[in-house]
Amino acid sequence: MASNKKYWRSVEELKSDSPIVEGLMQKEFVEEIPTYEFLGDKDNLSQSATTRRDFLKYVGFTTAAVTLASCEGPVVKSIPYVVKPDNIIPGVANYYASLISDGSDSANILVKVREGRPIKIEPNKMAGNWGATSARVQASVLSLYDNNRLRGPLFNGEAIIWSDLDKKVLDTLASLKNNKEKIVILTGSTASPSTKKVIENFSQLYGNVSHVVNDALSESAALDAFETMYGLRALPSYKFEKAAVIVSIGADFLGDWQGGQYSANYAKGRVPVNGKMSKHLQFESNLSLTGANADNRFPIKPSEQVYALLNLYNAVTGNSLPSKETKADAAIKKIAVLLKEAGSKAVVVTGIQDKNAQLITNALNEFLQSEVYDITTPRFIKAGNDADVADLVAEMAAGKVGALFIYNSNPSYSLANAAAFNEALKKVKLSVNCTMSNDETALQTQFVATTPHYLESWGDAQFQAGEYSLMQPTIKQLFDTRQFEDSMLIWMGENTTYYQFIKDNWSASILNGGSWNQALHDGIFIGNAEVSLIKNEIDLSASAASLLSQTKPADFELNLYAKISLGDGKQANNPWLQELPDPITRTTWDNYMTISAADASKLGLENWNVSDGALNGSVVTLKVNGTTLENVPVLIQPGQANGSIGLAVGYGRTAGMQKEMMTGVNAFAFMHNFSNFQTVEIEKTASIHEFACVQLQHTIMGRDEIIKETILEDYINKPKEDWNKTPEFSLNHEEVAAERVDLWEKFDDTIGHHFNLSIDLATCTGCAACIVACHAENNVPVVGKHEIRVSRDMHWLRIDRYYTSDMTNEKAKEEDIFGTGEMFNTMTIPSENPKVAFQPVMCQHCNHAPCETVCPVAATSHGRQGQNHMAYNRCIGTRYCANNCPYKVRRFNWFKYPQNNEFDFNMNNDLGRMVLNPDVVVRSRGVMEKCSMCLQKTQLSILTAKREGRPVADEEFQTACSSACPTGSMVFGDVNDKESEVANLIDDDRTYHLLAEIGTKPNVMYHLKVRNTEES
Amino acid sequence: MSHYEASIREPLINGNKSYHDITVDVAAPVEGKANKKWWIAFTIALLAFLYGIACIAYTIGIGIGVWGLNNRVNWAWDITNFVWWVGIGHAGTLISAVLLLFRQKWRMGINRSAEAMTIFAVFQAGLFPIIHMGRVWNAFYVLPLPNALGSLWVNFNSPLLWDVFAISTYLSVSLVFWYTGLLPDFAMLRDRAVRPFQKKIYGLLSFGWSGRLKDWQRFEEVSLVLAGLATPLVLSVHTIVSMDFATSVIPGWHSTIFPPYFVAGAIFSGFAMVQTLLLIMRKVSNLEAYITRIHIENMNKVILLTGGIVSVAYITEFFMGWYSGSSYEDYTYLSVGAATGPYWWAFWALITCNFIIPQSLWFKKLRTNYVWSFFISIVINIGMWFERFDIIVIDLSRGHLPSSWTMFSPTFVDVGIFIGTIGFFFVLFLLYARTFPVIAQAELKSILKSSGDNYKKLRENNHEQ
Repeated sequence: MASNKKYWRSVEELKSDSPIVEGLMQKEFVEEIPTYEFLGDKDNLSQSATTRRDFLKYVGFTTAAVTLASCEGPVVKSIPYVVKPDNIIPGVANYYASLISDGSDSANILVKVREGRPIKIEPNKMAGNWGATSARVQASVLSLYDNNRLRGPLFNGEAIIWSDLDKKVLDTLASLKNNKEKIVILTGSTASPSTKKVIENFSQLYGNVSHVVNDALSESAALDAFETMYGLRALPSYKFEKAAVIVSIGADFLGDWQGGQYSANYAKGRVPVNGKMSKHLQFESNLSLTGANADNRFPIKPSEQVYALLNLYNAVTGNSLPSKETKADAAIKKIAVLLKEAGSKAVVVTGIQDKNAQLITNALNEFLQSEVYDITTPRFIKAGNDADVADLVAEMAAGKVGALFIYNSNPSYSLANAAAFNEALKKVKLSVNCTMSNDETALQTQFVATTPHYLESWGDAQFQAGEYSLMQPTIKQLFDTRQFEDSMLIWMGENTTYYQFIKDNWSASILNGGSWNQALHDGIFIGNAEVSLIKNEIDLSASAASLLSQTKPADFELNLYAKISLGDGKQANNPWLQELPDPITRTTWDNYMTISAADASKLGLENWNVSDGALNGSVVTLKVNGTTLENVPVLIQPGQANGSIGLAVGYGRTAGMQKEMMTGVNAFAFMHNFSNFQTVEIEKTASIHEFACVQLQHTIMGRDEIIKETILEDYINKPKEDWNKTPEFSLNHEEVAAERVDLWEKFDDTIGHHFNLSIDLATCTGCAACIVACHAENNVPVVGKHEIRVSRDMHWLRIDRYYTSDMTNEKAKEEDIFGTGEMFNTMTIPSENPKVAFQPVMCQHCNHAPCETVCPVAATSHGRQGQNHMAYNRCIGTRYCANNCPYKVRRFNWFKYPQNNEFDFNMNNDLGRMVLNPDVVVRSRGVMEKCSMCLQKTQLSILTAKREGRPVADEEFQTACSSACPTGSMVFGDVNDKESEVANLIDDDRTYHLLAEIGTKPNVMYHLKVRNTEES
Repeated sequence: MSHYEASIREPLINGNKSYHDITVDVAAPVEGKANKKWWIAFTIALLAFLYGIACIAYTIGIGIGVWGLNNRVNWAWDITNFVWWVGIGHAGTLISAVLLLFRQKWRMGINRSAEAMTIFAVFQAGLFPIIHMGRVWNAFYVLPLPNALGSLWVNFNSPLLWDVFAISTYLSVSLVFWYTGLLPDFAMLRDRAVRPFQKKIYGLLSFGWSGRLKDWQRFEEVSLVLAGLATPLVLSVHTIVSMDFATSVIPGWHSTIFPPYFVAGAIFSGFAMVQTLLLIMRKVSNLEAYITRIHIENMNKVILLTGGIVSVAYITEFFMGWYSGSSYEDYTYLSVGAATGPYWWAFWALITCNFIIPQSLWFKKLRTNYVWSFFISIVINIGMWFERFDIIVIDLSRGHLPSSWTMFSPTFVDVGIFIGTIGFFFVLFLLYARTFPVIAQAELKSILKSSGDNYKKLRENNHEQ
């Protein structure tokens, strides 16, 4: 119903005929709107340049433009499968068995492939020892996505198409064949039977062909010795797990010595079982990873290593080969007794790159009838022949070589006489380099026949007699590349592919009726292990005499070595490896001269810390036999033998590299006569070098509860309380274990899964494979040298390395200076020849986590399965958690690391980002991150088992680190599964928790280190 | 307020002032024109402030990485400055609230400026917890806001969250307290104002103060209630700030004496800052008659007391470091950790500035000396900055695991932001000095007859006759 109400607007309205009201009724607006004033003037309007329509157009355009501009979002290219490949389910990883064998690393691997992208290397556990993955093998997946790889073949530095390249090569080859000119194929070591067969066929076709094998890290001496003694060019395989006494003279067998891969079986003997473990004695000049793991270590100069070997031989066998005295002779006599006692359970190995030294060592092992020294299943992973390489350079210089094909070798970088090689190469009519990047040699050759990465290739290998394995591509070739073997087949005019060639070769001579598909699936095949060996008599006196005459003691002797991270420098462009801290020096992004503290003070060389804690050092110029290297930084290394210096090869690469990765100096320039021992002159310069070192305090500072260790005798004979005392607190006037003192009621964590990680310090060799595995699995950013220098490393997992100091708590108590500044100051100085301990530290996933209580926004909280979670989206970056973490394992994103030109590493280009794990989020700037105990992996295992309706098997639970650990030091699993390995480890006598007295109740446990020595 | 004061007590107002003189003197800086010195000071402060803003913008634009922090020392200048400014912000409330309850009349000459300083200092302090966040744009996560994310809530266990509440409570109570006291003085300025604009502004600011008896009665009551409310805050704020450290597990932080030690330290530094400002202001704003030797001496006495408490706390820490039997504590306190370690200079700066030099205040000659008082106040401000720096940086740089030991070195951004807050502080203070009644003249007038020098003399003369 409409309202009848009337609202009066003024008193005037009461008057029925008021003219005012009347007037208002007529006019809607009280005042005239002056439209005429601005629209009436037609002339003016028509003169205006902007018409009404234009005005509307402008309004429309600007509105649309502003709207559009505000809508601009990042373009994400994602292309769905039109036809989905059968075996790819988005979100589900496929694993392919393959292998890596590039002359420096040899391993059977599983390749994790997500949506067609290989993203992670896992060990192939079926392959036993050969399935162990080192840090470099773990990192090799990133080299696949190296932005500096060549995109296609080159001719004189210009791009060329394959058909043109083939035509030119074939033409030249034909003319060379007619003229019977020499063709040389220069390769790195290859353990591949099929590659060898391709080269053989090529040789047969072209006649005058020779195959020269060149290794940057040559084992030519050992190979020569083996060949002389047994008539086969191979290396013995050592079964360190059987050893009771291991004596190493300069052999870094946990590193690159004889191709590596000895960590796993070495570690088997390093856990005390039934009161027995191996005793490892090391004579060496540099403090190597192997020396750091030794029970006793004797730092001696390179020349003394030779004498020590001869003296040891004499002392064991009773012979009297010519030798000289060394300062370690007293120890050698004792060791000789030990060796004789151990008999067949003893072994002696040496890294002296001299055939005679190797002959004497082999003879010594034969004398001991060592079971460890196994010649029946020799290794084929190293084949370099130094004499052949030297001859080749001479022949090339003389113009006697018509064509040179280079594969898997970088002589222009790795030869000491690289300049002579480059000069000689100009006289070769045809030079072809089969390589992945435009490396130093590729710049010198006419052709570059670009090869794919091993993850894009077919291949095979026989690492050891009878142990065959297959390599298969895990991704379509990213670039216009062709395998070396395919190229060779084409240049032979063959119509077959290398894949077919391998298949045929395997059917014909390897499989022996076995299944190709099964072999390809497993990646390995146990085949015929028979090798024909002869036994030649060796005149050891002559060898010893020759060895002595070759050995020239000097004031300073240089011992070249290879690092765990870069090795021979093949993967120098890999930022994960550049940023991997050296296990011993914990320095990244550099090589440097290591020198003992005594020698350093003699020469006035120094290391010091600047105001932000970062390490600086003196710089020297080194001279070896007429070659000079300038700007070599100096690092004072405890354990370095006086009178010796160390320098790592593998650095100083300059070609095919990104600017950031061109670090260090090229020490191969010093490897005259392929020997790692040289006489050196040191000259101090005025420059200062800035190191990027992640550990700046090297001793444990008397905090013995952090790294617990004991000696074998005490471990066997004394009660646990003596060597692994749990911290105790007083509760209700009673001393109880610290872990039982608690303010809160314990949560019931016995239901469901509860994850624990166990780390055995006795078997952790510090090899750093876990660090790279973690890096790859968890999309950890690379931050570069400067950020590492200022203690902003992002590794979720680090391996702390501690040296012992001459000052201990006990000694301080004796001297009555306990707790004083004098004690602590002395404790900061490592011993001259320290004992070394490694301790991997990652987030301890404390059940009473100090980080969790202090986060104002609850971004870090505890999970029901024991993990300490990080909710990145919730994190506001107060960094309080990191301050309150007693283990200092939290890592802050100080900058935006991905897609930032300031951090131009793999996360800054489309290719490099292909390695990212889609299951792990890439963290943004301003948030905290840390180890998650590979939550994504445990969740996957749980969900897979749930879908399949079965309990999760113990071995299914793995973290990236535990899975990569070659020695089995890291064990991960569910402690609520009482059958699991990790649940049983909790009650082990050697178990302790790091900083247990704080009451954090970590889910990571350690097992203390046992040293097989007399004195603790 | 008693209208009788013993004649042996020194007068609190000098210069033969009448009520009108006080009015004129207090209103003079507001009504007059700024002199050249003011403009120079203001320009410098403003430039420093702008530089600080640029540094903050740079930090937010690029990342916290532009500071000198690292993965072991995750706090340094940021939280040092935060605690330093909060500490400075302690004196104002103490002077106005606690001294009000204790009926200390000498507070009347200085409480206004002390409170202003408090509020401006808390502004600076509040800035740091915000800008030190890696993702400052998500800073509102620390507020317990209802949200659509299920049970996502702030973590009430975190001392950092307690800080949020403690500081915001302190700031709001201080602000209200200060403003209440300003009402009659704004009204005085309003009544004297000639220009209409000024009259309008001060009219608004004085909330229609009419000067009736009821106004005064309510004013007194509210002041007393607010003083009662503010007194526990003096203790609570720095207690909670100290818990940022005390509740942690880091050797050197994990210490039960932190709350009283921090509160004493805060009052110590706050009084020093009040001293610094007043000694300048009494000259610049011609307030020598109101801020007298006795004010300065009383302040110095409080400084001496709180400094003593702080010194005892230092000694206690060292004793506990040894007595605890923990090698970690022992290392941090007693030995190379602090005194002879790489940060020995910071340690000795602290000891010299906070412990040794303030001992000179035992001497009356020195504590009544304006120049020496000024010098000491600056020294204490420096010393207290180092105290926080030492606690944060030395302890973090030498944690549990020696493998993680490193050091910290500031970048130009760290320094720039600190300078910026000093600039901001002085911009605010200089503006305040030109627009606010810098002395609580209404209150001061209440003691003129008991404590003014002229009246005292008059009484003495009467007595003699």
